[in-house]
Amino acid sequence: MSVVGRPARRDSSPIMDALRSILLLELWVGLWVTLKNQFRPHITVEYPKETVELSPRFRGTPRLRFHPENGEELCIACHLCEVVCPDDCIHIVSEKKPDGKGKRLVSFEINYERCCFCGLCVDPCPTKPLTAIYMSHDYEMADYKREGFVAPLKTLLDGIEPKEYKE
Amino acid sequence: MDQKQLVEQIVIPILQVLIAVAVVPLIILYLQLVERKVLGFMQVRLAPRRVGWHGLLQPVADAVKLLTKEDTIPAKADRFLFTLAPIVAVATALSALAVIPVAGTPFSLFGYEVKPWISDLNIGVVYLLAISSLGIYGILLGGWSSNSKYSMLGALRSTAQMISYEVPLGFALIGVMMLAGSASTVRIVEAQKSSGWWYILPQIIGFFCYFISAVAETNRVPFDLPEAESELVAGFHTEYSGMKFALFFLAEYTNMIVVSSIVTIAFFGGWLRPFPNVEALAWLENGWVPLMSLVLGAFAGWLAGNHLGGGLNPLMVGALLGALLGFGIAVADLGGLATMSVPLLSGAFWFTLKVSFFLFVYIWFRGTYPRYRYDQLMQLGWKWLIPLSVGNVIVTGLVMLLLGRT
Repeated sequence: MSVVGRPARRDSSPIMDALRSILLLELWVGLWVTLKNQFRPHITVEYPKETVELSPRFRGTPRLRFHPENGEELCIACHLCEVVCPDDCIHIVSEKKPDGKGKRLVSFEINYERCCFCGLCVDPCPTKPLTAIYMSHDYEMADYKREGFVAPLKTLLDGIEPKEYKE
Repeated sequence: MDQKQLVEQIVIPILQVLIAVAVVPLIILYLQLVERKVLGFMQVRLAPRRVGWHGLLQPVADAVKLLTKEDTIPAKADRFLFTLAPIVAVATALSALAVIPVAGTPFSLFGYEVKPWISDLNIGVVYLLAISSLGIYGILLGGWSSNSKYSMLGALRSTAQMISYEVPLGFALIGVMMLAGSASTVRIVEAQKSSGWWYILPQIIGFFCYFISAVAETNRVPFDLPEAESELVAGFHTEYSGMKFALFFLAEYTNMIVVSSIVTIAFFGGWLRPFPNVEALAWLENGWVPLMSLVLGAFAGWLAGNHLGGGLNPLMVGALLGALLGFGIAVADLGGLATMSVPLLSGAFWFTLKVSFFLFVYIWFRGTYPRYRYDQLMQLGWKWLIPLSVGNVIVTGLVMLLLGRT
């Protein structure tokens, strides 16, 4: 069993302890650490100019996508994502297909204000070869109006339009 | 009083005062940039880089912001004292610069003798201590007149801190005054030259006591309890904005410069080079041009280096380039400008270098240490620094008595 806490001192004789505190050893160690750190390359980036590389599993805004080969809508309007969504941020309106087989989308809205980016909507999505709904790598979603956060079908397919920010 | 005396004793000091008052705020603006850069690098991040090349115009942007900001006075504040407080803080901080000698040798300008210090008081060190105790009134009045809990607490803490740390501050300098046999700042440096070593050697305990107390006296990390932003919003200047805040800011940084200068003068030989009496090291004094370019080159390399990937290499490259440039200038001796032995300039170079180092130490502390708890602060002051500094005075006196130097 490992004990979590301070690592045991190698030499904790009273004389060494006294020397340590008289010579302010720990303070010098701290100064040495910060001095060394000055010469390490920076790990932050100048954000709007450069961005960091995202992990493949990064969960940005949930979006819809087309079939990668024939370009048709993948979503079969099964409402599973709407049901599973813990925030109730997905709102789907569907209708029967004219040929009587299955349903198709009339509208598909995701309210990004309520979305918590949990990715639970992706798990039950039954479409093949890819899930129709997926977690994209978009994260620049700031807007000046609340209405801007309700993404209609077009936004979900094309991604959020880059905005001109006011000076 | 003839004209020569009039100019030398009245006109030139007034001009020097004007120069000091104009130049010190500019230095402080860039000191602030250096502080942000150093802190940024210590935290392995990029420091300000947006305004100007490598952020070099950031101080200008800051100054414009502070000058144009709305200057608010709280409705229930004491308007007179609220306005007076930053003036007191800045006036006391700037007036301490009067007795700081930048270099050792007077020079002549248009036939008049100009001294590289504004005034050489025979009680210079005592004057500095007195002025720095007056500076606390700025903080106290500002905190009290704001009529705000946070400001009040900040001012109270500051008062307690000043009372505790003023004592070791004074005692630590007494050792130096005993060795030098004078309280004049110029005499103290000259005594270090004739004794052949900087007073850091005989007075190392005094130096530690003085520097720690001085950091506490200027309310800097790790003793920044009066403005502890995680506890008191902003401490005594919570209610201040715009130009009044800028004045408090100016006072704090001027105090830093003054304290670094006193450390340099009292313990590190002021304008003297290291080992001022060793002839073999005379190149340290005469070769100030290459040395200065080396330091500036290393500084530039370090500033730019973090963005190029960090490491010691940019610093080394900068230092090397600077040194080569400096040697070039020195060898070419451009128009006598870089004449190798100008005692005034080499003195000013060594003085500035030492002061810059202590300013860096201030920032270094800020990047390293967490804030003291209030009782720890009091414990350090009363239980350690005061006994240590008093003991230092006694031991210094005993040793001087035994060596027969009075």
